[in-house]
Amino acid sequence: MTASATSAASAQDNTSAGQDKTNAAGSRGSQPPVPEGAITITVKIRRFNTEFDDEPRWESFQVPALPTDRVLNLLHHVKWYLDGTLTFRRSCAHGICGSDAMRINGVNRLACKVLVKDLLAGGGKATTITIEPIKGLPVHKDLLVDMEPFFEAFRAVKPYLINYGQEPTRERIQSAADRERFDDTTKCILCACCTTSCPVYWTEGSYFGPAAIVNAHRFIFDSRDEAAEERLDILNDVDGVWRCRTTFNCTDACPRGIQVTKAIQEVKRALLFKRV
Amino acid sequence: MSELERHAYDVLVIGAGGAGLRAAIEAREHGMRTAVLCKSLFGKAHTVMAEGGIAAAMGNVNSHDSWQVHFRDTMRGGKFLNNWRMAELHAKEAPDRVWELETYGALFDRTADGRISQRNFGGHEYPRLAHVGDRTGLELIRSLQQKIVSLQQEDQRELGDYEARLKVFAECTVTELLQDEDGRIAGAFGYWRESGRFVSFEAPAVVLATGGIGKSFKVTSNSWEYTGDGHALALRAGAALVNMEFVQFHPTGMVWPPSVKGILVTESVRGDGGVLRNSENKRFMFDYIPEVFKDKYADNETEADKWYTDADNNRRPPELLPRDEVARAINSEVKAGRGSPHGGVFLDVSSRLPAEEIIRRLPSMHHQFKELADVDITAQPMEVGPTCHYVMGGVEVEPDTAASRVPGLFAAGEVSGGMHGSNRLGGNSLSDLLVFGRRAGAGASAYVQGLTERPAAAPETLARAERSALAPFDGEGGANPYGLHMELQQVMNDLVGIIRKSGEMAQALEKLEALKAKAAEVTVEGHRQFNPGWHLALDLRNMLLVSECVAKAALLRTESRGGHTRDDFPGMDAEWRRKLLVCTASGDGVEASAEVVEKPQVPMRPDLLDLFEYSELEKYLTGQELTGQSGASRGEGS
Repeated sequence: MTASATSAASAQDNTSAGQDKTNAAGSRGSQPPVPEGAITITVKIRRFNTEFDDEPRWESFQVPALPTDRVLNLLHHVKWYLDGTLTFRRSCAHGICGSDAMRINGVNRLACKVLVKDLLAGGGKATTITIEPIKGLPVHKDLLVDMEPFFEAFRAVKPYLINYGQEPTRERIQSAADRERFDDTTKCILCACCTTSCPVYWTEGSYFGPAAIVNAHRFIFDSRDEAAEERLDILNDVDGVWRCRTTFNCTDACPRGIQVTKAIQEVKRALLFKRV
Repeated sequence: MSELERHAYDVLVIGAGGAGLRAAIEAREHGMRTAVLCKSLFGKAHTVMAEGGIAAAMGNVNSHDSWQVHFRDTMRGGKFLNNWRMAELHAKEAPDRVWELETYGALFDRTADGRISQRNFGGHEYPRLAHVGDRTGLELIRSLQQKIVSLQQEDQRELGDYEARLKVFAECTVTELLQDEDGRIAGAFGYWRESGRFVSFEAPAVVLATGGIGKSFKVTSNSWEYTGDGHALALRAGAALVNMEFVQFHPTGMVWPPSVKGILVTESVRGDGGVLRNSENKRFMFDYIPEVFKDKYADNETEADKWYTDADNNRRPPELLPRDEVARAINSEVKAGRGSPHGGVFLDVSSRLPAEEIIRRLPSMHHQFKELADVDITAQPMEVGPTCHYVMGGVEVEPDTAASRVPGLFAAGEVSGGMHGSNRLGGNSLSDLLVFGRRAGAGASAYVQGLTERPAAAPETLARAERSALAPFDGEGGANPYGLHMELQQVMNDLVGIIRKSGEMAQALEKLEALKAKAAEVTVEGHRQFNPGWHLALDLRNMLLVSECVAKAALLRTESRGGHTRDDFPGMDAEWRRKLLVCTASGDGVEASAEVVEKPQVPMRPDLLDLFEYSELEKYLTGQELTGQSGASRGEGS
């Protein structure tokens, strides 16, 4: 196993905090046995620490991995054995909480859902996996971004049930068909994969972004909700749905398989034809 | 100390899962200025991982269901060790909490006539779990999150400030509870994960809603947050924990590939028809029906299969026995050499339902196995084995108010103890969160309203908390927190796991002492800005103290019951049913140590006892208790 600083240098990357890192790596202690069938992967991570760095830098680590491992396991290996200061979010670790969205080999994915075998270089070549923070949100440290602008857009579309009628004694009745109508957009886990894959969002941070529209869709098309007009007005704004250029990046990025672009189109149509 | 960031609230809720958010909503509705603190981002709490559903006797699918039947099932599941008052409140109030959640906007799968649909689950006599496919926990959190956004927007309109009444502080970890000289709660002290800066919250009432302790075990379905923080904070503040020896191993976790070992496979797979088979293709669960459940569970495949279409005239399939029974059975099959290639057993739904039906009912499972294990569950069986899932033990509370023995300290959800006895039924967790989250919010509010002055923490308390939190930066060459964490997980997994022995637990206690000594010397690298190594070093103190409680209580309880199985005491002992093991702690920080004492269980109220047949009570109660309960001679039939 190569220590981080050495491998970073060999990859001719920026090692501005290299001195510190050498000591850090050396103090990590023993590493776990390398499992049978493991291959060595170069994990190239976009690092940024406001305490040392004026701008982000790349750092590479050599990590033994099984093809069935997930990218999250690679990051854990780095954090546990090579550099304890590596910072990223993760919670449930199987694609439900939506905490570990990152740019993996240039596309937005949840690190807990990408398998190493799907990223291996062909023809027996050495594999390098690049990992960067999601784009369009301010980076706090390493892979950790400020999610507040994202949640602000979510809150702006009134993401809660609005019903002006009387509260039911028990439950509101909803037919299976009515419930099915918006099933797709209720799967959202607010991971930000879609919004931060959108080229419009990268350049126009004021754009609500796909995730907020998906969450508006979830209520606009809910038969129990009575505030479709209010939300459509919000999304008719200059920073609303009309910014969408239909590039489908969001749909490709969604780890839940939500037809994000289709949902945006449905909201656009509802605006054009004033019909939900 | 001068630059310490300070906030003041009426009610402080620690934890933003189902219990915490429901408590916060309730406190705000009672007019309290309320803050929620959480370690992760808002909306990412462990509750999102609950898949199967939320148990409530609404009777939408089978009108025979009632709170009494739910109460009975819960007591049976917990092997009668449950705090019966909690189980009663839970069974009575769960339907209202589900309906309330629906009015908040929660999505549910529906019956043909448009009401909330309910599904079968282990240990529940009738279809009882309201659900959204297999993502019910996610919907529960999202609905509460949405409710909070709507309340905040209401406050914005009324007061010009979104956070005037209810504010969520995300990525903030609490390290100490603050108390006044009389021991009353005065607030909490913690740090921002991002900056590493300290922050203090003054509040006369704190609701702990921090979840469980699963990260002390190697194979677990729990996420990184589950380090027993609330359990340890309560202990250090002088509160007591009960039932800590009872840890639930969910029978079906993924066993392969290694990177996903422990991840949950929902019980709905079995509720919807999935069966367990060993390497000889045998449905082995028929061999593991314990005496106490023989009249409720089918002893042959024909009857078991008929149950899915005619539940009133057939007994249930044994795959739907309570989780402790199924987990032990799987463990035995693997030990006997009849396991699957990767050390589990087979869970098969592919031969039981058409492919499109599997994808419709279990979309997340289909996805999870396809993506992570390259297994198509519509065509192949899954490989599964037990995984540490839930701790029944937790803060001892007053059932009606969720108050602990420390004035101003409340607890709800997994961090509280008693409700589930020795074993929790699937689906009873989400309902527990809402029922007791609401009660804790109300209890904390009533307590604050009854105070004549706000308790204030002595200034030196803050300085001490700060020194203690910074200790891992002192010194050099100490152990790496990640390594220590793995050692702890191995100890708990191997020596205080699913099957326990006296000698092994004694050994575990020695090792825990040694780990504590190492943890006192633990050294972290880097600086305070988002430093996960430092965070883990602080979490480790909590895990060690709570693990000590688990091991000490488990060593004392010389019987097997629910989530506590003793190889050296395999039987259930009615005398032990009357006893609770109560843990308290003395000492500070990493030096704190646990003490466990026996306490008599409060006898069940006669009208609740009357809900059971005498013949069933005979299986659990002592002769002395039975003769003392003439009212229990004839219970209502089931």
